[in-house]
Order: sequence, then structure tokens, then C-alpha cells
Amino acid sequence: MDATVLGAWVATGLTLFIFSFLYKDNPLFKLAEHLYVGVSVGYTIVKAYDTVVVHLIVKPIVEQGEVTLLIPVAIGLLMLTRYVPKAAWLSRYAFAFIVGVGSGLAIPRTISSFILKQIEDTVRPLLSLAGADGVTFSMNLLNPASNLNAIIILIGVSSVLFYFFFSIEHSGPGKVVARTGVLFLMIAFGAAFGYTVMARMSLLIGRLTDLIEFSDASYGSPTLWLALLTIGVLVVLSRRRQQEEPPEAH
Amino acid sequence: MIFLRRQVPLLITMITGLVFAAQYYIPHPASEQLLTSATKWLQIIGGFALVLGVTSLFHQHAAKIRRKEAGWGYSLVLYAGMLGTIAVGLWANGKESIDGAMTVFGWIYSFMMVPLQGTMFAILAFFIASAAYRSFRARSREAAVLLIAAVIVMMGRVPLGEYLIPISGDLSQWILNVLNASVRRAILIGVSLGAVALSFKIIFGVERSYLGGGKE
Amino acid sequence: MTFAERMLRIDRRIIFVVIGVCTLLPLLYPVGLPIKISPEVRGVYEYMEALPERSVFLLSLDFDPASKPELHPQAIALLRHAFRKNLRVIAMTLWVSGTGMADQLLTQVAMEMGKEKGKDYVFLGWSPGGTAVIINMGQDLYTAFPSDYGGQPTKGLPVLEGVLSLKDVNYAISLGAGNPGVEAWYVFGKDKYKFELGGGCTGVIAPGLYPLLRSGQINGLIGGLRGAAEYESLIGQKGRAVAGMDAQSATHVAIIVLVIICNIFYFSLRNVARQQGRVHS
Repeated sequence: MDATVLGAWVATGLTLFIFSFLYKDNPLFKLAEHLYVGVSVGYTIVKAYDTVVVHLIVKPIVEQGEVTLLIPVAIGLLMLTRYVPKAAWLSRYAFAFIVGVGSGLAIPRTISSFILKQIEDTVRPLLSLAGADGVTFSMNLLNPASNLNAIIILIGVSSVLFYFFFSIEHSGPGKVVARTGVLFLMIAFGAAFGYTVMARMSLLIGRLTDLIEFSDASYGSPTLWLALLTIGVLVVLSRRRQQEEPPEAH
Repeated sequence: MIFLRRQVPLLITMITGLVFAAQYYIPHPASEQLLTSATKWLQIIGGFALVLGVTSLFHQHAAKIRRKEAGWGYSLVLYAGMLGTIAVGLWANGKESIDGAMTVFGWIYSFMMVPLQGTMFAILAFFIASAAYRSFRARSREAAVLLIAAVIVMMGRVPLGEYLIPISGDLSQWILNVLNASVRRAILIGVSLGAVALSFKIIFGVERSYLGGGKE
Repeated sequence: MTFAERMLRIDRRIIFVVIGVCTLLPLLYPVGLPIKISPEVRGVYEYMEALPERSVFLLSLDFDPASKPELHPQAIALLRHAFRKNLRVIAMTLWVSGTGMADQLLTQVAMEMGKEKGKDYVFLGWSPGGTAVIINMGQDLYTAFPSDYGGQPTKGLPVLEGVLSLKDVNYAISLGAGNPGVEAWYVFGKDKYKFELGGGCTGVIAPGLYPLLRSGQINGLIGGLRGAAEYESLIGQKGRAVAGMDAQSATHVAIIVLVIICNIFYFSLRNVARQQGRVHS
């Protein structure tokens, strides 16, 4: 059998096994789930070995004599002392290094990219200078860079930040600002929900497209046969369960 | 001993943290060289961290098999899947394809791992639909605003929605670009301030939970 | 139990069937509704379009099979565009489980467009370390990736001629499904190494990237399957994303209808409860 055809059968079977969870949790789903974890872990280990050990450590050290790379290898090995209870404290040196360097690298870059740049773009001029005509104010809502939108963004950012940072009881003008913040937040959550629905549906579309492709006769119609098989197994399993657990007498 | 077990790691964090924070503002060739070496090291250490992360699963399932706990057969499947993948992976030198031809390792990846992982996440589509039906109710004014925004965005981002209600496209575009952007910006600024504060707490030894494992 | 109460408590498997049918039918019988192009996707397309031949284009495929339906079509459309414009393509991934997919799709599109490995494109593969890889590439591309995916030394490859680090990249796009992704490429890459950056992402994280789009930190954003469909339309090569748009429409409408129905029942129940409350009092 051609490797692709065999692949189509395996992929279709595993896909249907996972989908069978929609009916109820069952051994087919559990089998596929455990296989997924096993294969993923195996894949990661192989990749880590090939990329790190072979290409980033052994080759540069043996071929180019980059012996300084033994230092990160030593730090990496210290990390693995977690498996030896008596020496586990040595792993702290490795974590201390990673966390230290990581924090050091992150501080200035985060300030520059996410704090300064974002504030800079928020406090834009609220009016535009337009040549000799003087100042203008653009009202076009559809242009995100218009002056009106710049004001809306400024209101949104400040009210949401106010809502987050001032945990005092919101009353008077503070209440108005906090309520505006909540309103903005709700709209953003709504947009996020809409996009999440979009994303999840796309994933389903992707999987169903594959199943449709594999229903083709050139593959031997695995989708059809394996769907029948999966349904058959689910029916048998639920019948058996019913027989094992007689309904309680009322 | 406490000095070696506790003080030294804190000192390492503090020194490396301060050095690499300062490095950003000192573009001297020597400091740039330091950055190159350190990030290269982090790459290699990252590989070890990854292995450390995934191998914790080994013990859990090995124990299950040894004790023949309920469902140990599934743990056996997990082990078989993992060892099988490792064996064919090493055989193929860790390559999914060699000069465009798929290896057995690539076959396992394409026809087992990709559909399995893809479908695991695809079933969420059904659950989000069910959750929307069960709990997406306009119980309060805020919830109503959320609901309306979600409906506009859902309509505005698909061709049928734009066809049925032409303004939904522009409206969702405005919601995303202006209202959503302003909230996300506030969140981004807030979270970043928090992250910077946390990084400083780590560097100065106030936050120590990352040291975790091992006795004092 | 009233009708409304019963409807609010229907077996969730009925909803599953509705969603399944709404997805399946349009895939089997497509309508082909027109797709409007958004300014954020056009931003990426126009920048790519304006790049001169042999410019260096870096595509980081930072996703795994879980996001394949959304980001795979984006990657294919972008690669087709890049190869058609005769750009030099450097592909890589920061997500270990995305390596196989990235290799496969690059090989497939390169073969389709008649491009030569090593001369027109290179696949650097995956490297651990996430953000550290980005910084390391910004310092020296050859320390971060001494060899490509196939194990060939990267130094001396014609496709990388004149490229020493990220500073020499004309345009980079990260197709991100999380962290590390588009944000990391800005913070640890563009912030210091000043290359132009565009983004592609899953629907879930797209709304969170709009602040970066507004501030010009990324010059365009392709969001989810819809974004991919827009890009496919722009390059005039329709693929899986355009084919999926009818199903996307149908499922969105189905969910909106479900939400409306659930609210009608909810309000009818609430009204009944209020009226009963009034009668009792």
C-alpha cells in the first residue's frame, strides 16, 4: 500500500476517534489522546536531540573547536540535577542564570516596546497642522488615524487604566471614568469573543476539509469506512455498558 | 551551605539581570559580544529545559504501568507512541524529509501528530458553540454591550455577514481598530508595567519562587 | 417544565450536530461570496509588492499543528507572493512541533514555483530558546543557525549573501499562534535591529495585536483564516482559506442565531418569573 494512502487511513481514523468524544468520553478517544501525547513527546525529544546536541553542541565543538559552548552544556546539565533529590539544589544555579538573563533582557525592551511606544502613540496631537490653512480636525471614523479616533483611543486607554489601577471606591467623576472603562472593556471582550469563535470554527473547517479530501475513492474512501467503524464501536460500547449497568429500579 | 544553596543563586540572578539590563544601553563591541554569547548559551540551555519539561511525564505514566492502575493500558500506548517516534526519529536523523522525500519520522508527524493535535483543538469549535448558546445572555447592560459587539464582529468578519448587513464590515473594522485597540493598549501597558516590576523583584531577590526544588 | 426551559436545556449534542452540518454543507457545496480586503492585510501585501527583486524576506512560522488550518494557508499565500516577486526567502520556526509543517510547505511551494534550495530559499529549521534565538539572530545569524534544516552550513549559501544578521533583512513576517510570536519578534527583534515587520496570527490573538498595528510597530496584520482568504484573493491564487470562507460564514450565522434564540428564551422566562413575582406579592 502506498504510504500516503496508508497515511490517509491513519489520519482519518485518529481524527474520527478524537471527534467521537463529542458523543461521550470513550476508549477510542482515550487511545487517540494518549497516542497524541506519546508521539508529541517523542517528536520533541528527537528534535531537541538533533538540533541541540548534534547541531548546536557536538558539531561546533568538534568541527570548529568552540569549547566555550561547554559552559551552557554544564548549565544545562545542572538543570537536570532536578532528578537527583540530593543534588537538586544545584539546578538553582541554572535557573538563576536563565531567570537573571531573561529578566535583564526583558526590562529595557519591554519598557521601550510596550510602554513608551504605546504611550507615545496614545498621546498624539488632537489637531493636525495642514499646510497654510492652519489646523484641521478630521472626523472620519473609518480612518483609524483620524483626530476623532485619536481622542476616542485616548479616552479608552485612560479610562481602562483608571479602572485597573485605582482600586478606591469609584464615586463622583471617578465613577463616570470607571464606567466608561468598563464599557470599553466589554466591547473589547465582545470583539475577542467574536474572533475566538472565528478561530475555533476555522480549526473545525480545516479538519473537515481533510476528512472530505480523504473521502475520495483514490484513497479507498477511508472517511466513509472509518466513520462507520467508529459509530459501530460506539454503539457496541454503549450497549455493553447498558448491559453491565442495569437501570436502577424506581 | 546555605550560602551556596541560597545566596549564590540569588547573586547570580542579580548580577546577570543587572548586566543584561544595562547591556541594552551600552552598544560597545565587547558588550555586544557578551549579548551574542549569552543568547547563544540560552539557546542551548533552552534545549535542556525542553527535555526537562517533557520528561516529567515519563515518571507519571511509568508508575501507572508498574502499579497496573486503572487505565494503565493507555499509558502503555503513550509509551509505545513515544518510544516508536524516538526510534524512527533517530533512524531518520531527526529529519521529516530528506531532499524532499518524506521519512518514516515525517510520516508519523504528518499522519499522526498533525491530525491528532489539530482535531484536539478543532473539537473546541463545538464546545464554544454550546457555551455560547447556554451562557451568552444579556443579563445586564454590560453583558448586552459585550453581546452586541461580539455579534457585530462575527458578522463583519465573514462574507455572508458583510453581504447581509453591509455596514457590519466597516463597523467591526472600527471596533477592532479603535475601541478594541485602545483597551488592548491599556492592558498591554498595564501588563508590561507589571512584568517590569516583577523582573526587578526577581533581580533584587524579592521574588524567589523560581528557585523552587531542593532542600535549603 | 415550560417550552423555553426545555429549549434552554437541550442536549448539547444537538448543537454539535447543527455546527457540524453548518460547516460541512458549505464545504461540499460552496457559494463563493466575495471577500472584502481589509487595510491591515493590504498593508502586508503592498509592502511585499514594493520590495525590489532579491530583497531578503524572513518568514518565521511560529505555530504548531493546532493552528494549521488558520496559519498554513497564510504561509502558503505569502510564500507564493514572495517567490513570484523573486525575493530571497529565509524560513524558520520558533515552535518545535511546527518544524515538519514548515519544511513541508516551503518545499511544496518552492517546487511549485520552480525555486532552488540554497539559492532562492533556505529553511533554517527550529532552534530552542524562543526570544533568545531572535536576539542571537539579530547579533549574528550564523551563530544562531550554524547549519540549515538539512544540516548544510549556512555560511556561504548564495541565498544568504550579504546577510549577516537581522539588520540585513528587508522584511520579516512572523506567523504566530502565541508566544513566541509577533510580539516577541518586535520586542526582541525589530526594537533593536530595525527591520520592517509584519504579522500574521490566529484569530484568538489578532485583537491583541491591534495596538502594535496602530503604533506602526507592525506594518500589517493577517488575522486568522479570514486574513488568509484576503491574502489569497490579493495574489489571485485562491486556496484553502477562500474555500473555507463559506463555511466560516455559515457557522458564524449559526452561532448568532443560537445566541439570539437563547436570549429570546431567557427573556421570556425572565418575564414569566417577574409576572409571577408580581402576582405573589
